[in-house]
Amino acid sequence: MNELMSPNAFKWFLTILTGGLAGVWFFYDSFNLIRTRNLDRSDAIVRDKHFGYVIGILIGIIGVVGCLRFHGVV
Amino acid sequence: MSTATVAAPAAPGASGVTMQTPRKVSPFNPANAVTASRFLTLPPLYWAIENGHHQYATLFILICGLLDKLDGLVAKVFNCRSAFGELFDAITDGICYGFGLIVVAAFGWAPWIPVAAIIFLGVSNTLMRFVYVRRAGRATNYKSYAMERLVAYTGYLIGFATGGMEVKFYYWAFVPLMAVIIAYDTKRMLIDPIPPARPA
Repeated sequence: MNELMSPNAFKWFLTILTGGLAGVWFFYDSFNLIRTRNLDRSDAIVRDKHFGYVIGILIGIIGVVGCLRFHGVV
Repeated sequence: MSTATVAAPAAPGASGVTMQTPRKVSPFNPANAVTASRFLTLPPLYWAIENGHHQYATLFILICGLLDKLDGLVAKVFNCRSAFGELFDAITDGICYGFGLIVVAAFGWAPWIPVAAIIFLGVSNTLMRFVYVRRAGRATNYKSYAMERLVAYTGYLIGFATGGMEVKFYYWAFVPLMAVIIAYDTKRMLIDPIPPARPA
């Protein structure tokens, strides 16, 4: 059975899908964290949001680093 | 047929005051249908992995992930959000991604140790969600911003294995992240006070 695309195209497809989303995610959650930094942290929902944004930033970094490793950059 | 009850604004009453009356949302609604359709991607996923079709396997897990994003949108469009739907979505995530992880590990496309750790932590989290429902005394989904992000990462994990993309790096990076989130969510689900029910 034929594959859907060439191995090189597939490699770049995975890179764009992962790196693109991870990069956007990193900036999106960084922005969210900055935007909500002055909210009352005694509120459990606010604490949960901040924790989630930090995790999102970490996932974004992991995603981008993985893409760079995939292409032998780091 | 069981139904989930959600609050919805009603037409103004005789007194002219807007009343909140419960609106029944059937579990057989378009959003839950989209959620359930994710199970249809599992047999082709298994077939693709068993036969070594990396690209097709990636496609099927991608479709599963996209349907996960679509069900929320459908619920909004058809106005059929419910506590049951949220819970069903979380359970479907666990089953679909758990199945995918086990299959990629079983066929040697992903390392067993992190997969076993992820499955263990995932099952623990699911059990705690049931405890949370019992504590709340109603069908409710524990909303975790961190876990929502991690679930998306889980979908990608299977894609990394099917695509052969830095598999060890992504899997081993996932485990400590998940352990921290589970520890945080455990405290919130089992110890912290439960917030009041919110309208759909």
